[in-house]
Amino acid sequence: MRVRWPPPSYPLAGLIALVAVLPVVVLVTLVGDAPDPFSPYNLKVLLNTVVLMALTVLGSVLIGVPLALLTAYVEVPWRRVWLVALAAPLALPSYIGAFTFYAAFGPGGEIETLTGLSTPSLDGMFGAALVMALYTYPFVLLTTRASLCSLDASQVNAARTLGLSLPMSLWRVVLPRVRNGIAAGALLAAMYALSDFGTPAIMRLDTFTRVIFVEYNAFGLSQAAMLSLQLLSIVGLVLYLESRVKTPHELPGRSLSIWPSRRQSVALFAAVAPIVLLAIALPLAVFGIWLWRDGAEGFELAYAWNSAYAALLAALVAVVLAVPVAHAAMSGRAGRLMERLTYLGFGVPGIVMGTALVYLGLKLPLLYQTLALLVLAYVLRFLPLAVGAVRSTSERIDPKLVNAARTLGASRGEAFRRITLPLTLRGIVAGGALVFLEVMRELPATLLLGPTGYETLATYLWRVYEAGYFGRAAVPGLLLILISALGLVLMLSGEARGGRSVLEDNRR
Amino acid sequence: MKLEVRDLGVSYGATPVVRDLNFTLDGDDILMLVGPTGCGKTTILQAVAGLVPIECGQIQLGDRRIGAADHVPPEKRHIGMVFQDFALFPHLSVAQNIGFRLSNQAPVNHWLNRLGLEPLREARPERLSGGQKQRVALARALAHEPSLMLLDEPLSSLDASLKDVVRWEIRDALKEAGVPAIWVTHDQAEALSVGDQVGVLNAGRLQQVAPPEHCFGRPANRFVAGFLGEASFVPGQFGGGVAKTALGSAPAMMADSDVATEVDLLVRPDDLELTQASASQGQGEISWSRYEGGTRLYRVALDEGGSVRVRVNHEQSLPPGQRVVLRINATEPLTAFPRA
Amino acid sequence: MRRRQFLQTLAAGGVVGALPAGLNTVFAADASEAVSVEDLPPIEGELTLYLGRGEGGLYERVLDAIRKRNPKLELGVRRGPTAALANAIVAEGRANVRRADLFWAVDSGAIGVVEEAGLARDLPADISAQLKLGFRYEAWAPVTGRIRTLPYNPTRLSAEQVPDDVMALADSSLKVGWAPAYASFQSFVTAMRLDRGDQATRDWLKGVKRHAKSYAGELGVVMGVERGEVDLGFANHYYTLRLKAGKPDANVALAFTNNDAGCLVNASGILALGENPAAVTFIRYLLTREVQSYLAEEAYEIPLVDGVAMPQGLPPLASVQPPKIDLTQLADLRPTLDLMRDAGVL
Repeated sequence: MRVRWPPPSYPLAGLIALVAVLPVVVLVTLVGDAPDPFSPYNLKVLLNTVVLMALTVLGSVLIGVPLALLTAYVEVPWRRVWLVALAAPLALPSYIGAFTFYAAFGPGGEIETLTGLSTPSLDGMFGAALVMALYTYPFVLLTTRASLCSLDASQVNAARTLGLSLPMSLWRVVLPRVRNGIAAGALLAAMYALSDFGTPAIMRLDTFTRVIFVEYNAFGLSQAAMLSLQLLSIVGLVLYLESRVKTPHELPGRSLSIWPSRRQSVALFAAVAPIVLLAIALPLAVFGIWLWRDGAEGFELAYAWNSAYAALLAALVAVVLAVPVAHAAMSGRAGRLMERLTYLGFGVPGIVMGTALVYLGLKLPLLYQTLALLVLAYVLRFLPLAVGAVRSTSERIDPKLVNAARTLGASRGEAFRRITLPLTLRGIVAGGALVFLEVMRELPATLLLGPTGYETLATYLWRVYEAGYFGRAAVPGLLLILISALGLVLMLSGEARGGRSVLEDNRR
Repeated sequence: MKLEVRDLGVSYGATPVVRDLNFTLDGDDILMLVGPTGCGKTTILQAVAGLVPIECGQIQLGDRRIGAADHVPPEKRHIGMVFQDFALFPHLSVAQNIGFRLSNQAPVNHWLNRLGLEPLREARPERLSGGQKQRVALARALAHEPSLMLLDEPLSSLDASLKDVVRWEIRDALKEAGVPAIWVTHDQAEALSVGDQVGVLNAGRLQQVAPPEHCFGRPANRFVAGFLGEASFVPGQFGGGVAKTALGSAPAMMADSDVATEVDLLVRPDDLELTQASASQGQGEISWSRYEGGTRLYRVALDEGGSVRVRVNHEQSLPPGQRVVLRINATEPLTAFPRA
Repeated sequence: MRRRQFLQTLAAGGVVGALPAGLNTVFAADASEAVSVEDLPPIEGELTLYLGRGEGGLYERVLDAIRKRNPKLELGVRRGPTAALANAIVAEGRANVRRADLFWAVDSGAIGVVEEAGLARDLPADISAQLKLGFRYEAWAPVTGRIRTLPYNPTRLSAEQVPDDVMALADSSLKVGWAPAYASFQSFVTAMRLDRGDQATRDWLKGVKRHAKSYAGELGVVMGVERGEVDLGFANHYYTLRLKAGKPDANVALAFTNNDAGCLVNASGILALGENPAAVTFIRYLLTREVQSYLAEEAYEIPLVDGVAMPQGLPPLASVQPPKIDLTQLADLRPTLDLMRDAGVL
């Protein structure tokens, strides 16, 4: 259906986009003279940044897409547990991962100390890209899986009767149609790679964020702001490229079920296990060793509650705000632009963004350093995670269903609430999960904007890591993963049941 | 509720899709809108339902007048619609679909029973067969007690054996509900058999609206004549209520109020008699024959040019190339069109 | 053992008269010179502290002990990267919103930024009088010191092979680990700049760069030395001491240069924002012999009041002869960064 009247989501989406872009506007006001970003040395840095981003995207897609197919289509026992375990790396800050990798591998590393096996050192571009890919592939996994689940995959069976093998059928019949979902996840991985500081620093790779960080730490806030804005030019390019990825609209249909034999299940498990081992088990094991060596002290369970509570609030608010933005993005060019604007903040290094949010928060002195403002800051920072997931699912809804509801007498609003919303639930859940996990590991905004004395798992982890008391990172690290897994389980059970229950009490 | 459509026009961007549409519908009449693919049938339904904005003209629904400037949203129109692929809500059960906006379960139960859906009450749409989906879609629309029903090719995704049964089920259900209905189809047999009125569309314009017999027997133009059935045109001269052709004379009337002496006479396959002829006799020879069960259809290439189709009893079997004698054998006056 | 006694001492208030035996022996030499918590009035009311870097519960333990001793004190603590907290304080100052009463920073540079913005209040003269000479300032109080060291791997070279002149490292053939992006390293380069001038510093940076390996932080440097990735490195002293505390057989030892930037003593510091008198009392608590000796023993930081022993594993401050430099001058990082970029190390 072609609509002539202005899409109803525009005013709200416009307002949200405006608020989301405010921190970037604050950066502009903080700008002073910056060192020349294109000196020969910085050109090398720029190249490193772009290569790291490209390798991260490549790695996260190579890991994330097969895992999405696996978790969406293959009927293995304990399917949901697999999904939860595979999405869990999203909860661990990548600097923690990078640090444990660095400590575990190489001569004199923990692996050699423990087993006597010598392993090659993990650092530089390869190490950074590996760690980044391991901690960003869940972006691709979750967005791609959401698209796969709402895709009519019966054509796979058609392709197989035409003589294509199953992998080839997936490759040629399914994947081209979920390019949107893959691209949405890859975009997030790219932005993460662009804005993360910890991983390249620990892997001793010079990237743009490091230049920014040096300026920031040398009290050159204005220079750091300027460089961050320059970094945004790469972000803008990536955003543009991602928006060029288009797949034709199609109707949702029956999903695919693949029943592996027992042997195949074991083989799949063997293929997937190394990823979980590397991304989750290794850091926890290394922390475990240190825990055993140093002992844990000073940890309070309240930190875990603080983390989960704030993350849950932020996830809820983010998905509520993401819905109109996603809707606007599908309604026209102006809406598309609004949606793109919400992504900008995600590409700014966290500590610079945190300071920009401090300036913004100080405009509301009553709310400054309250939980409400902290949640708002999380939402501003991570809104694109929710928007991307909601949009890629909404795009798959048959517009005829809304028409049907309206001819039955439902207003635009009611049709949205009772048809579009429940059918978008998968995307909303995936988006909420992404925000939840990302908030769980968020650091700078939590440190600067949380209520005074508000300690979360991430801030505690950072505190002990910074001071070199690594053993104490084990308990919060484990809890971080545990709570994130719990959150994922809750959300996934919502995904399974969500369709039915929304509607019972909603009658005329 | 009475529906009156006046000078309706709908465009997609700069492309006009429907132009100068006029018709009236009342009582419990079923209007069959028929036409080739892409002629604007579905667009008309969407415009009446309020799902696309109209560009010009008026739609009068009962005492409510809708124009290009005063749009009424679809949910305010009390119109029921059955979509081509049914548009059942995949996340709701059959009963929840049918009772989508109803607080009272009585109509839900009524239509579940009436259409034999009771055993499927809790089923999800994905588990239903095509015919079952069709019935659910119909029940959903009717249970909401619309003042007007719109059906968009309701039988197109059913298999042939089911089509005939469901066709009459729908008609009976509509008659029971007692509301006027617009039923879009591209199948002329469906259009002629079910409708109280038939409207033939071509390229966004309505060619003729009339009872089925009238449309078939007195088509307003050659397009309507050809679209609704096998039509052959035999050249001849018209005068005094009689048309003279190489195949004999027959009572005839001019289509519309045209006046002409040189005409093409519309001849249906059943209007002709065919007999075997020897090599030097007859008006033409058989180019092919098709066995249809109770009957047999021949195409005969005429000596004077052109061809006609003739339907005869199946017992007579003639090979291609056979010379034949043709005679017009019509008791009702045939329709004549001015020679182009 | 020590830890528990420390807590008891601070928490016990006036009830316990004598120091426990363990602490007594530590202070045996000249305990009389440092103020004891026993001599201080209690702190009351609300107090918000911005704490740059948490130091893994050690500063925390100090704070807990102060809380315990002062039940009427409501102490709120905000932790964060030092530069980020300094920026936040400056932003709050511009918006006329004051949330912090105190700013305790691991880095004297951050102290300089807040001081320069005119947000720090002058401290009573008797506070600076408690501090060692060279660590007395008007508007802030150094709390503990850290000394620049050369951690080296004793399996790869002997103590005699480590030069005692930092400038000599430019031409040496030793494999060196450093962390140019690390704030303490930049302070060290700033000190060298003030000491020897820009040209000599640039040459030195270029010289060392030829045989240097970069790390993200100085903990990384020390771990790199221990793993034998490099022969020696540049790092604050406590990373080595803490590493050895967790892993006593670690292959790393400390060496010091003599009277140059290579053995610069920098300090963490605290300043008071606004007029809350409790803030000043709080600062006094940090300068007591109990807190100072605790930080020395557990965090391996260098006490800056007279009469508290150096952490184990470090020679007495007097024997290393650090250069005389005004620490607030180290906040002037801009020329240092330009110079480091110019030399291609940043």
